[in-house]
Amino acid sequence: MKINGPFVEKILTRFIREELSKFNYKKAVLGLSGGLDSSVCAFLATKALGPKNVIALIMPYQKMFHQDVKDAQNAATLLKIQWKIIDITPMVDAYFSKYPTEDKIIKGNKMARERMSILYDFSAREKAIVLGTSNKTELLLGYGTIYGDTACGINPLGDLYKTQIKQLGQYLGVPENILKKVPSAGFWTGQTDEGELGLTYEEADKILFMLVDQMVSKKEVIGAGYKKETVGKIINLIKKSEFKRKMPPIPKISARTVGHDFLYPYDWDK
Amino acid sequence: MKIGIAQISPHLGNVKRNFELHLDYIEKARKNKVDILIFPELSLTGYNLKDLVEEVAIIPINDSYFRKFKSLSRNISFVLGFVEEKEKGLFYNSAAFFSGGEILHIHRKVFLPTSGMFEEGKFFAQGKNIKTFNTPFSKVGMMICRDFLHYGASYLLFAGGAEIMIVLSAAPGRGVSKNESFETSQMWELMGETISRFSTVFLVYGNRVGFENGAVFSGGSFIYDPWGKLLTKAAYLEPDFILQEIDMHEIRKVRKRWPYKRDDKPEIILEALKRIVREYED
Repeated sequence: MKINGPFVEKILTRFIREELSKFNYKKAVLGLSGGLDSSVCAFLATKALGPKNVIALIMPYQKMFHQDVKDAQNAATLLKIQWKIIDITPMVDAYFSKYPTEDKIIKGNKMARERMSILYDFSAREKAIVLGTSNKTELLLGYGTIYGDTACGINPLGDLYKTQIKQLGQYLGVPENILKKVPSAGFWTGQTDEGELGLTYEEADKILFMLVDQMVSKKEVIGAGYKKETVGKIINLIKKSEFKRKMPPIPKISARTVGHDFLYPYDWDK
Repeated sequence: MKIGIAQISPHLGNVKRNFELHLDYIEKARKNKVDILIFPELSLTGYNLKDLVEEVAIIPINDSYFRKFKSLSRNISFVLGFVEEKEKGLFYNSAAFFSGGEILHIHRKVFLPTSGMFEEGKFFAQGKNIKTFNTPFSKVGMMICRDFLHYGASYLLFAGGAEIMIVLSAAPGRGVSKNESFETSQMWELMGETISRFSTVFLVYGNRVGFENGAVFSGGSFIYDPWGKLLTKAAYLEPDFILQEIDMHEIRKVRKRWPYKRDDKPEIILEALKRIVREYED
């Protein structure tokens, strides 16, 4: 699980630069939450593209997470990138005043999709590609909002586990208070990823690494000293969230069908 | 003699642009008095083509790009990778050796990786032969990427008298650790050292760089001498251009000291293989 900071930085900065040039973009836009993943992504984007070409949108809801907003501002100032605070409260509240709910997940998903909608709006306004900030742990466990925070143009961090992102963040010089912060999706005050998932990232990443990267069987993972319930829970989360990692299925009728056998590279004609 | 390796990042599916890229490197190599220049696997088309395979396929005998390459090869020899339409509707992952105004040999990839991230078997026909050929410099054998990881392929070139083995590669990097390269780069280097040393040949491995559909090609092209010693290694991840003098007299020296070639027993291996194949067919 240990990564080489300079080597991974080189891969990811080259990736960001090359993808932007293929798709004819000079700038990138990302949502900056004040948390670890989006900060690491902003650091990488700045190294890859230069501060003038990175736009960070800080999109708080109500007065929640005051400290995160400040941390995001500080990180953006440190990197000398363009940043903007866009309060999503009026848009989100306007909707929920018509269709009220007490369900915190429904509310949180709406916020995530509001942010996505703003990022794509700025993508068009600024001709900037949207950088995703979902890590491998979240992608595998389905800990993200479909068409919300998982939506992006490119996702530089998608093959790094949360604990590896922390290593990378340390190497890149992400401020200490961000590195030490308890990870949270920010759906409500006091929410933590680890509390909601019921396991620590350290444990989840080790189990995921065995199951996914090393293709070790469930039995062997349990044999390696992990609780049966924990391993089972992780496997269930992976299975349950496959739909978030795929394009929706299309019923095949014709001889050649999108998503089945119309097989062109993503980088077609780039 | 001088070997050159063009560690490039081809444009996926854009033959015209890649043709220009090849011309640049051929010119650069010619100026540097390179004898043989090596381009990576599918250098003329890019690697992960999927359904684009048929659109970029070339029929060597009447292709205008190939006419130009042939004419350029009067001054310098070079190896490049392309999609070959050998028979109508059959597409091969091929490598051509241009020299003296001609194509001296075309190798068609035999081992097509089709598992995990690889799906070559879905789009390419399988090559049927692995053999050496004469060049003005020496007897040469070519392999394409995965061919090289099946040591039977190198053995056939060794048995066939190769003194230089050329591997054209489009190897994606996989597996990070605390090391400064991919785990897979270390795997290729291990094979390079082993095969060069125990086949007592010069081993030239030309890999590519750049991203395709998110996959990163790791670079790190290299040349080993017949003693198994690393002569040069290109940068990881970045485009690079390698120039390396090699001395063909080393083959004679090493084969006096380590007579693997003299003591090889292809006829015993052949008979044993026949028995093995017969047995599993029963």
